[in-house]
Amino acid sequence: MKVLKLTPERCTGCLRCEIACSYVQTGAYQPAKSVIRVSPFEGHTSYAPYTCTQCAEGWCMTACPVGAITINAAGAKDVLDDKCVGCKLCTIACPYGTMFYDTSTRKAFKCNLCGGDPACAHACPTAAIEYEDVVTADWIGDFARERMGYVALALEGAR
Amino acid sequence: MPTRHLIIGGGTAGMNAMRTIREEEREPSEITLVSAERPYSRMVLPYYLDRSIAESHVYTATAANLARWKVKTLIGRKATALDVKANACTLDDGSRVEYDDCLIATGSSAVRAPVPGSDGRAVHSFWTLEEARGVLASVTPGRHVVMVGAGFISFTILNSILALGAQLTVIELAPRILPRMIDATGAELVEGWLKAHGVTVRTNVKLARIEDAKDRKRLKFSSGPDLTADVVIMATGIKTNLDWIKGSGVGVKRGVTVDERLRSNVPNVYAAGDIAEGRDLISGEAAVHAIEPTAQEHGRVAGANMAGKDVRYRGSLIINIVEVCHLDAASFGAWDDARAEAISGLKKERSAYRKLLFTGERLTGAIIIGRSSDIWTTNDVGMLKGLVQSGQPLGRYKEHLRRNPFDVKTVFIAAKTTSTLLPETVLGRPSKAPGDSPVAV
Repeated sequence: MKVLKLTPERCTGCLRCEIACSYVQTGAYQPAKSVIRVSPFEGHTSYAPYTCTQCAEGWCMTACPVGAITINAAGAKDVLDDKCVGCKLCTIACPYGTMFYDTSTRKAFKCNLCGGDPACAHACPTAAIEYEDVVTADWIGDFARERMGYVALALEGAR
Repeated sequence: MPTRHLIIGGGTAGMNAMRTIREEEREPSEITLVSAERPYSRMVLPYYLDRSIAESHVYTATAANLARWKVKTLIGRKATALDVKANACTLDDGSRVEYDDCLIATGSSAVRAPVPGSDGRAVHSFWTLEEARGVLASVTPGRHVVMVGAGFISFTILNSILALGAQLTVIELAPRILPRMIDATGAELVEGWLKAHGVTVRTNVKLARIEDAKDRKRLKFSSGPDLTADVVIMATGIKTNLDWIKGSGVGVKRGVTVDERLRSNVPNVYAAGDIAEGRDLISGEAAVHAIEPTAQEHGRVAGANMAGKDVRYRGSLIINIVEVCHLDAASFGAWDDARAEAISGLKKERSAYRKLLFTGERLTGAIIIGRSSDIWTTNDVGMLKGLVQSGQPLGRYKEHLRRNPFDVKTVFIAAKTTSTLLPETVLGRPSKAPGDSPVAV
């Protein structure tokens, strides 16, 4: 299946993905409502986007007590709004931190790959986010690991 | 002849087991479900209580769904005895059901504080659908509801009671609220939040009796002033529904003791959910968790093994979350392990708290509190679960967290937690969507 392939080396931290995502997912231009999240590294000189990997287990889906999380046509785990009661079990079952909860609608939401046409990939000007038929992976772990040494050292120096 | 599976209990564990049997079996089997109640989800009862969903929404299977999945149902029946030599279960109407293998999934029930008047008029439990109906009918705007017990069950319905316009007082025997879910610092934060949202909280009080006071109820305590209430809700704990199985030869301690395949000491008798005493992921010890996610995983693993697969279960992780007035409080794993090394951070002005419990370099427990509207909280909730679940050594990132306990996300990503977690599945294969199951159609 096609997944979001992330190449953090290309990310400029422009947050266009977050703006596009929040608009498509919730109707608001608001990074705090985006289900793709950009993290800064090395004192905001490098960045990495992070979102749901559409994992094989689907911890959110198997945890839902009312069957409100299913697999959509794009192969993404997707929340059915009319079934979700907002119990938040999916938010603690997902071990990746990629389940979200909207306090205004009282429902869970997550990356559903925009049903097969992901807005974040469209919005990304540098192809740091691509929608491709590849095996999902830990796209940004190594990138972050190299840069965390710097952060840890900097904090040590500042102590 | 097809294998005859008997599922005793139509709650989360039983439903997940039936669904998994149908997903995994190579040849069609016979499934019989014995369930005292029509299958529904206890998790969604609070949303039924505040009327945000209709009663029809709580059911996890309709008769048509179960028929389509070729489940023979004995709804309204209770199992009263298990004859493990004859492979037969006796029901409360005297009938017997024979099986090739069976799943004990009879769950748990609410218990009330053993004080005079606890079974009287206008005193409720909130555990079953029937009990929820009782509470629903009695909580109306302006009425004073006293909740006895400030634990998980109590907290799942706080929002609903407030949403119905009732006045709420919560009383707790322990010196603090949520004594089995968060620590004292976290409890203080949540208690402050509750009081700011108009809830009266009294901890360290021992209920002595509940009396009638004309149309109302009067609660008397070992010390301190009385309380007058219109409705009393007893959220004073649960017990496993074990009595019927005692003496059957099925091994029982705090629950039915099960191995890594969810099998009891009797090879063709499985147990799952609140009634099962299975492996705890963190301690490796046998434990009764009585939480929804454990019942789901137990049911799935038991079902796969009953269908002839050989699936071993790693163990259950204790995970709990409650939300009150848009403040989230969650805990994971061994959050109260006194031997663990604790690192914590508190931002009172943001009502945010993190407590990270390390055993060596591994995160073995965590507590997190923060506002629901704060996306940082929601991300950290999942990532803390992931760090505890993965069990990976965090090395130098532990020191990073010691300096900044709120920087969970950076550590999660840099520790390559995603790489560790991605190959993990409960059944050794990708999960199927619930639409193809008897659970929800």
